Amino acid sequence: MRLNRENSGARWRMRPDGPDKVTGSLAYLTDLTAPGMLHGLVLRSPHPHARIAAVRTDAARRLPGVAAVLTGRDVPGLNRFGIARQDQPVFCEDRVRYVGDAVAAVAADSLESARRALELIEVEYEPLPLLDDPEQALRPEAPPLHPEGNVLHAKTYRTGDAGPVFASCAHIVEETYRTPRQMHAYMETEGGLFVPGPEGGLTVYAPTQHGRMDRLQLSRILAMPEERIRVVSSPIGGSFGGKDELNVQPYGALLALASGRPVRIHNSRRESVRAGLKRHPMIIRMKTGTDANGRILAHRVSIVADTGPYASLGAEVLNFATEHAVSAYRFGCVDAESVSVFTNNGMSGEFRGFGGNQAVFALEGQMDRLADALGMDPWEFRRLNLKTADEPGPFGQPIARTDGAAKAWAALAGSRLWRERSAVRTPQAEVPLASSSAAADARDAGTALRRRIAADSAAPVSAGGEADPPWRKIGIGAAMVMHGAGLGFGIPDPSGGRLALRQDGKIEAAFGFEECGQGLIATLEQMMIERFGFAADDIRIVIGDSDAVPDSGSSTASRATSMMWRALGLLERPFTEKLLEAAAKACGRPSRLLGLGEGGIRDLETGERIVAYEALAGRQKEPIVCEAATRYPAADTDIVGAHFLYSYAAVAAKVEIDGLTGRVRVLEQFHAVAAGPVMNPQGYLGQIEGGSAMALGYALLEEAAMRRGQYVTNNFDTYLIPTIADAGGPVEVAAIEDLPEGDEHGPRGVGEIGSVGLAAAIASAVRHAAGAWIDRLPIDPALLQEARPFEKAAVIGDE
Amino acid sequence: MNDDTDLGAPEAEPLWESTVNGRPVRLRVPQAKRLLDIVREDLGLTGTKRSCEIGRCGACMVLLDGAPVNACLTMAYQCAGRDVVTIEGIAGEEELHPVQRAFLEEGGYQCGYCTPGMIVSVKALLDAIPDPSPEEAEEALSGNLCRCTGYGGILRSVLRAIEKGRGGS
Repeated sequence: MRLNRENSGARWRMRPDGPDKVTGSLAYLTDLTAPGMLHGLVLRSPHPHARIAAVRTDAARRLPGVAAVLTGRDVPGLNRFGIARQDQPVFCEDRVRYVGDAVAAVAADSLESARRALELIEVEYEPLPLLDDPEQALRPEAPPLHPEGNVLHAKTYRTGDAGPVFASCAHIVEETYRTPRQMHAYMETEGGLFVPGPEGGLTVYAPTQHGRMDRLQLSRILAMPEERIRVVSSPIGGSFGGKDELNVQPYGALLALASGRPVRIHNSRRESVRAGLKRHPMIIRMKTGTDANGRILAHRVSIVADTGPYASLGAEVLNFATEHAVSAYRFGCVDAESVSVFTNNGMSGEFRGFGGNQAVFALEGQMDRLADALGMDPWEFRRLNLKTADEPGPFGQPIARTDGAAKAWAALAGSRLWRERSAVRTPQAEVPLASSSAAADARDAGTALRRRIAADSAAPVSAGGEADPPWRKIGIGAAMVMHGAGLGFGIPDPSGGRLALRQDGKIEAAFGFEECGQGLIATLEQMMIERFGFAADDIRIVIGDSDAVPDSGSSTASRATSMMWRALGLLERPFTEKLLEAAAKACGRPSRLLGLGEGGIRDLETGERIVAYEALAGRQKEPIVCEAATRYPAADTDIVGAHFLYSYAAVAAKVEIDGLTGRVRVLEQFHAVAAGPVMNPQGYLGQIEGGSAMALGYALLEEAAMRRGQYVTNNFDTYLIPTIADAGGPVEVAAIEDLPEGDEHGPRGVGEIGSVGLAAAIASAVRHAAGAWIDRLPIDPALLQEARPFEKAAVIGDE
Repeated sequence: MNDDTDLGAPEAEPLWESTVNGRPVRLRVPQAKRLLDIVREDLGLTGTKRSCEIGRCGACMVLLDGAPVNACLTMAYQCAGRDVVTIEGIAGEEELHPVQRAFLEEGGYQCGYCTPGMIVSVKALLDAIPDPSPEEAEEALSGNLCRCTGYGGILRSVLRAIEKGRGGS
């Protein structure tokens, strides 16, 4: 189904959190203040690698208005954090390993006093040798950044000896792909309010993707039982994986407890860039060979990931990248060897797509290059090598059976955009660009603006328009995506939820998930309405508060929608039965004649409302509560990180290249996404469109550049994310909802998959337009500039 | 430039008088205090968001005499005596502004953090040009960054707001 408002009918709903967002009345956690609150700031290392000889805080402590100055000596519990491995210091005591490393923190009665106090802290550093290149860090002579060396994690997956198989290949493609350090660039920087309780407890108001994980981590750091810490973690002004790990929470919590007063912290953008996570830069080498007919016989992969100074989720990201460097294709023999390496660069970690973005860019590059070597249509080449529904997953593990790959492939093959590709000659397409000139013909916005954003009315590439300058080139490319969801085998992945009829008559749905903007609240509300027949007004959604929600696991890994669907499935019968039994008691009719409906319990036959939920609640001594515990399904395997549920996407992009400037502009996109039934059309469309804009930035604009361990892009003046002018072209999203008969797993999440494939599709389109193979992101315009353009006749014209 | 050196002494501050969301406001604030901090801290209007603080992202966009400006780049002395409208002043007494309704109906937002600034810019655009061309819309909104939506929903919201302005539904 083409996903849009018109096709969705009544299922296109206004988000419950919408009115507060469009009026500015929604209080984000970084908007909160408290009477008598202090302002917290963190002192971070100016050096990417140094020994700390001394820290002197006396002068800062003496400054009027300063309530607390803390260093590593002031951490009562574990002076380390990390979701998977606790190796990142809250405060460094003897050594700093990157420019975001914290050494001290202050709380003062004004931001100005806090700034002055930071300046008064004296830290003596002795710079140490810098390791800013992951390949250098792997050399035996490289100084170790950690006692166990510079390798965070190595992952090997080998099905056989690829060496002899390559000898029998008719075509072999070898390439090294490099991907950039991408910044999440959520609009709300990290921050929050930290309020000490009257009896030693603490309330934390700070955005995170897993409030209960923050509570666990803070409990370790503060040496405080988890029950005494309340974490309020939603709403969130964007996260994309970047706020899953702790950021300012340890400092806010420690300062609040030390001073006994509420403390507010809100990172500047510069500090957010400096301390925050980024997508792992990777160097991916691939050697892939086929027989003379185009069947892939062998695939060798080597990945070197720059994980920065501490673990965070670097090992898990590497496992994911390795798995998705194999993806949905049938390789005769796979030989993959990956390593995640510590350096003194910025922190790398979790980011939407989780290593799949890097791997798919490389893998799809191989597919295009092999098809080219074979003289085959690149999409047909993929079909030939795609696994069928009954074949195992990337690591040979059993996976949930779906035809998603084949269906996504076919949807793209039949798309208007892909069929249009045959009209474009490669590599020097001489086709007029109709879409930019078409816009100018009508002042009437209803026509021009609609054409700008609606794929079905986009001006086609066709001859006969006004003459197009010869330095403009058009190309269309495509990529396949397979994307695993859930945390994967070997990682506990519990979830659950709770339904209750509360005293005020509201049906309360409580989940330990977070609203990062993805539309989780709206999706949950829609599921409650569609599954149970409640009205929106009957429902209260409770999320993002560790005191009020059950354990649902993290809002990551495209897992939340699946887990809400699963938990509601488990709760449907018991909760319905309890409500109907209570209603039967109240009205004296048998429960089998009653059903749930809008506003209250109804007579199944007449539809007449028998008892309102509020009245029903009033008759109960105890609230009616049902709780479900479940877990994300995992593969039956022994390979850590291997997934069981996958979604698939086929992505096509049409680009225009200006040969004078080398700039690439994306004109149009097509996404076919096979992820099971659509729970929330507006949310689904938003995830694919929004994810793809992130991939567009990854392909064309974004790199958090570092020089000698220091960020050189510190804000949005030099770190460019797509603007409306960069990303406004028509995007068609086709949702493939079919699942095989008997599938028990329902909707697969779509939070990540939209962010994965477009970069590879753009690289493919650039090759189609200009003949250049892209092996590095973001695409360097210099590569696409025609040599010495001002000497070329093209500029001067024919006169 | 005035020669105040002690910015911490409130009695040294000049009186700042402006109209904010239709109401007269009188405050003693430093001449160089950012409008962003005045509306968020002094007036408690937190719908205006802080994000890049260098005028690149538009999260703090407000209207100054009807024209969109980044509140992070506007100092008190630059807007004294003028008419300031923040996101809190966009809606009418009874109902939302058509631009706000359009965003709700089309889903032109996700996390919502850029949304107040975006809506302020869209309102300014449509006040000036009721029927903007795609180029005019892109030009007017390219100072408002959104990381969530990919701008598709935002453009559909703009289109819907244009239709509402024409008396459409």
